[in-house]
Amino acid sequence: MSALEELLAYPGLWRGRGTGTPAATPTRPSGFAQLDRVLRGGWPRGQLTELIGTPFGCGETRMLLPVLAACTRERRRVMLVAPPATPWVPGWRQLGVDPGLVFVIRAASEEDIIWSCEQILRHPKTGALLAWLHGNRSAPLRRLRLAAGAGDACAFLYRPPAAAAQPSPAHLRIRWRADGDQLHLEVIKFTGGRVADDKPVAIRRDDY
Amino acid sequence: MKTRDDQGHTSVRSSPGARRASVGGPQLALLPPVLPERNPETESASGQALWLAVDLPHLALDALVQTGSMASKPLIITEDSARPRVHDANRSARQAGVRPGMALADALAVLNAPIVRDYEPEIIRQHLQTLASVLLQFTDHVCPEPGERRILLEVGRSLRLFRGTAALEARVRDTLRQLGYTPRIGIARTPAAARLLAHLRHPARPLARDALRRTLSPLPLTVLPLPAADITALHGIGLERIGELLRLPRNDLTLRYGTRLPELIDRLLGDRPEPVPRFRPPETPAFQLDFDQEVNAIGALRFPLKRLLLQLEQTLRAGNHHIQGLELQLRHRGTTTRLTLERSQPGSRAEEWLELWNIRLSRLELPAPVRGLRLAVPCLLPAGADPAGLFNSRDGTRDDSGFLTRLRARLGDDAVLRFAPTLQPLPEEAQEACSPETFPALTSAGATPAQRVVGASLWLCPPQPSPPPGPLEWLGRLEGGWWTGNDQRRDYAVTTDRQGRLCWVFRDLRSGQWQLQGFWG
Repeated sequence: MSALEELLAYPGLWRGRGTGTPAATPTRPSGFAQLDRVLRGGWPRGQLTELIGTPFGCGETRMLLPVLAACTRERRRVMLVAPPATPWVPGWRQLGVDPGLVFVIRAASEEDIIWSCEQILRHPKTGALLAWLHGNRSAPLRRLRLAAGAGDACAFLYRPPAAAAQPSPAHLRIRWRADGDQLHLEVIKFTGGRVADDKPVAIRRDDY
Repeated sequence: MKTRDDQGHTSVRSSPGARRASVGGPQLALLPPVLPERNPETESASGQALWLAVDLPHLALDALVQTGSMASKPLIITEDSARPRVHDANRSARQAGVRPGMALADALAVLNAPIVRDYEPEIIRQHLQTLASVLLQFTDHVCPEPGERRILLEVGRSLRLFRGTAALEARVRDTLRQLGYTPRIGIARTPAAARLLAHLRHPARPLARDALRRTLSPLPLTVLPLPAADITALHGIGLERIGELLRLPRNDLTLRYGTRLPELIDRLLGDRPEPVPRFRPPETPAFQLDFDQEVNAIGALRFPLKRLLLQLEQTLRAGNHHIQGLELQLRHRGTTTRLTLERSQPGSRAEEWLELWNIRLSRLELPAPVRGLRLAVPCLLPAGADPAGLFNSRDGTRDDSGFLTRLRARLGDDAVLRFAPTLQPLPEEAQEACSPETFPALTSAGATPAQRVVGASLWLCPPQPSPPPGPLEWLGRLEGGWWTGNDQRRDYAVTTDRQGRLCWVFRDLRSGQWQLQGFWG
């Protein structure tokens, strides 16, 4: 059933008495014009976004800072679940994120991480969730997708490269790769339509 | 007011007790005349003492949790280890013919494999203390009597608040039933008479002296708390009922039986005041339940835990307290598992605590079968306004603290953190971890020293040696710590390593070594 619904949501599919394009997913501007164009407005809200790549620290968190700053300006929380390092809040503050709204959740087992993410996504004050998942399994993500739909937070899941080969219920999947002074973002799944051009989006890492 | 008194309660006026009570009359007269309708019963008694006795004949049984499936299995509690006899027995054992007071051997003869437990006076005393704490919500004068498994309450001044004796009695009964106890309640104008009525399950509620006399008169002498010899002696002179005893002249009774008998009569009728000590609740209450059998499944702990939490809630309500942390002890054979739970907001509601404990218990593996539960309160907090509030909190979000508390209940107390910037110059000291509920107000709106120099790095690691970096972008120099003996001079830079990571590095100016401080990305 869900496969059929997903198929019907695909804008490339022409339906005889269709109602036109499905309702657009609400988004938050990413802060990069080029990326906003590809993502049709920005990072999706109330949906899962997977960011696949390695190693930690290439700028894959920094590219989200404009979104996180926007969340804390609305007095909504930024929840970091199982980050590989400690956030250095003076730096976050410098980039406009209120440290009082940044919460770090330490969880070790996959089960605890998923459970915490679920609780966080369902909470109305959550603005953005950043979770670092180790496992390749996609099954627990279905629970997260339901939880994300219950709120309107941006849910970013960092996953190892091996996860790219697995199917996933995420709304948007992006593979990132650092190259010189650029971060290449390649959209590998985008529910609701192909990207205009299949070329990776490049973000200059010293732009921000 | 006065005329109604005269009409309805002339009998009260004529009695000496009521005359004493009318000394307090001016205070009553000061009350505003417009009050919600009062029934004459409460009015006549509102100035004088009124005693409510709670008799708990099955306390030893109530104190044992009967694990659900075993409800049909006979259970007897024995006392007096020299010549064991039955103290109390559950319904299934009673149906087989076991009665309290029976010799244990006789009981065992009629029962098929019963559970036998010893009567433990210390546990009975603890339960009475807990219940006394709970009953403090109805009056400030409570007195547990452990030897008799009874609690006395002075409720004369509580009648108006609780709208009469009948309503108050129902409240007390419901409260105790909800906690899993089976009370018998008696109300009378003297403690001695209240005890008697509670013990007999007598329905009368004599508030006036004459009514009390009328109630007591038809009762047999054997119900009086007197030694058997005295009862026999009274029977010997042809007395059967209390009323016959009351008609005899006191002085002659004193001559014949000593002072004990007249004193008892005086205390029953209220002619001689009986001092009743006041109960002071313990500073750190604890609640305990024992199981009739060892419990192996976590699920079976939930129901008794709920009962403990309800006791806790009622006790906290009586003392107008809240709690923020709780310790649950699972008592095994010889050992104890201790679990603690800390909430971000103080509260007392049993359902909230039960939900948190359910989360915690669902992740627990029992190391050994559980024989009993104990709930300890590390410290009591004064209750402010109810944190859950009548409406949701101001910014429209619901159950905000509960969310973080749930996370902490499952992941551990130090698993949910925030970091606050400090004014220390060294980056690793430029922030401190705080628990979610304590977050200092940021000292200044401006940048902290570390922030001003090294700017917008995102991630921090413990400093670790790193190979000399390739091309780098200098950030600035930080010096600090000379006042603590940890003198540091560092030049900071950002560089890209071979894997493409944006590294945040520094060179120690003393040793010339490069160290990795964190990640820029």
